[in-house]
Amino acid sequence: MGVYILKRLLLAIPTLLAASIIIFMLIHLAPGGPVRVMLGPAQDHALVEKLRHQLGLDLPLHQQYLRWINKALHGDFGISVTIHRGAPVTELLAQRYGVTLELASLSTIIALLIAVPTGITSALQQNRLSDHISRLIAMLGISIPNFFLGIMLILIVGVFLHQPWATGGFVPLRKSVSENLIRMFLPSIALGTAYSAIIMRMLRSSMLDIMSQDYVRTARAMGIGWRSIVRQDIVRNALIPVTTVMGNSIGYLLGGSIITESIFRLPGMGRLIILGVERRDYPVIQGVVLSIVFIRIFINLSVDILYSVIDPRIRYGAEGE
Amino acid sequence: MSTLDTSTSKQSDLSTSVMTPLHHMYVAATTEKKHRGLLQEVWHNFKKNRLSLTGGIIVMIAVALAVFAPVLSPYNPVEQFSAPRGEHHPLPPLSRSREGSLYLLGSDKFGRDILSRAFYGTRTLLMLAASSIAIALLLGVLMGAVAGYRKGSWVDELIMRIVDIMLSFPTLVLAIALLGAFGIGKTHIGPITLSNMFKIAIVIAITYSPRFARVMRGVVLQEMAEDYVDAGKVAGGSGWQILTREILINTIPPLIVQASLMMATTVLTSSSLSFLGLGLQPPRPSLGIMLSEARDFLFLRAWWYPLVPGVFILLIILGFNLLGDGLRDSLDPRQARRTQL
Repeated sequence: MGVYILKRLLLAIPTLLAASIIIFMLIHLAPGGPVRVMLGPAQDHALVEKLRHQLGLDLPLHQQYLRWINKALHGDFGISVTIHRGAPVTELLAQRYGVTLELASLSTIIALLIAVPTGITSALQQNRLSDHISRLIAMLGISIPNFFLGIMLILIVGVFLHQPWATGGFVPLRKSVSENLIRMFLPSIALGTAYSAIIMRMLRSSMLDIMSQDYVRTARAMGIGWRSIVRQDIVRNALIPVTTVMGNSIGYLLGGSIITESIFRLPGMGRLIILGVERRDYPVIQGVVLSIVFIRIFINLSVDILYSVIDPRIRYGAEGE
Repeated sequence: MSTLDTSTSKQSDLSTSVMTPLHHMYVAATTEKKHRGLLQEVWHNFKKNRLSLTGGIIVMIAVALAVFAPVLSPYNPVEQFSAPRGEHHPLPPLSRSREGSLYLLGSDKFGRDILSRAFYGTRTLLMLAASSIAIALLLGVLMGAVAGYRKGSWVDELIMRIVDIMLSFPTLVLAIALLGAFGIGKTHIGPITLSNMFKIAIVIAITYSPRFARVMRGVVLQEMAEDYVDAGKVAGGSGWQILTREILINTIPPLIVQASLMMATTVLTSSSLSFLGLGLQPPRPSLGIMLSEARDFLFLRAWWYPLVPGVFILLIILGFNLLGDGLRDSLDPRQARRTQL
């Protein structure tokens, strides 16, 4: 077990490092150099040189990278250039990550609350009316863009039904828990719908897969009640591939939260990266992207490890290589 | 699965699990009483599934709208009409402008016809998505074919590492980061000037090519375990000949399935970028931008403003998803059985 975890951890490090090189190089993709882009057309030479020096852009490339990654590993992502001139990016990230993580967690909870019961009933009622309806809704769910869903939710609940909490905006948890949750409700639905459709489809298909296995037939032949087979064998085994899909969809959640935050005016890291792109604040863009990739790799790693705990076959397979 | 690994059991009789989709259909087609050709068989399977047929029809309508947008649009998508006296844009569906033009699906904030803009928006969206997918396919197929054919070599190792690294970025985040680096609008890279649209297509293609590379590699590996590859080698064919003449042909069905499903996500990504203001720029008619503009008029109860472009995007994505699912079922029965939905 320990060997497996260690192996997975060691494999994640080169990926993270390579990703960090790409993120670092982003700043050099800017046509004409990042400093010119950041300062705009009106620029005096001394200022350009000062900023170049401040950002370390006058050093050789590999030294720049080593300096940058060394600082990043110590939690220092540099200084914001245009959004909050002089503010440390780490501070900006810290202020905003809570909102994004709350949104992502609430969306996951809503997605699971919808997906698990519908997925199970759909599989058990295969090809009956309820199955067809759930599949159709799931298909719509993965096809509806979350920005369209979010806008329609604001329009219907906020404007036509006159619900003041439904029109976006954010209330910190510290100020009022209930107000915070009620304002996060629609954003979580907008973000969680597609996620729940993905989970539901996966749960249904993996349950159908397991239901056709020999051991299920054997269990039935042995006279074990259907309900207990469903609970003990089918659902439990079907949840294994579902966990993987959920882990893989973290990217969707983090990407989707950028859009959701923009619609509902939530001050999360999604708003921050859009601001960064609009105002050409490279350290901010780098900080947000690096932290997102880090979270994603970390969560995928945790899912892999969790997976190996639930399903020992994986672990033995990997160790046997 | 042993079929994905060339190093394990190469001897396999044709009736078991190592048959390719095409073999499956060939066998199915020849064993049926009425003999059908391969394409007819695919069509027969496809037709049976009503949902995928619906998807195909939606996609065909969208493509027709895109191609014939100039003919079908009642008005020029950028032409601005004035609101009647005492009224303001956006006007609801079926109202008329001061000049007397009829807004079938309402007007936008500048008095432009939403229906015409939606047709042209469909055109730009499909053009953008299709060119992104074309570039992504080219890159991905090349990477995947080389990696698969040289399995276990350093080339394979290198390509697959790159793919892994690219996949560690969420697609939308990578696209945003790349666009952020290049900047919004026209971009000059040395002597080359990239139009905004082409730049977005390249950025989206870069983010999606690793997925095609993975699929391609898997399929090439699967095909290489087949008897016909060995037979070709025994018959004296060179490796390159076998790859281009035999293996690549058989990778087409799974790639078509992937391309259709990826069209759905590419449409989503490109309209998301437009929505965020990072993609196509106004006044170019874009469904994403229309939705973004509509946000300012929600409190004036301008429900048609977001509804029309939103439904267009939704239907296009739905069409490609249904089509992709249906194609997977009819072109690749084995895969379909595994992820049946």
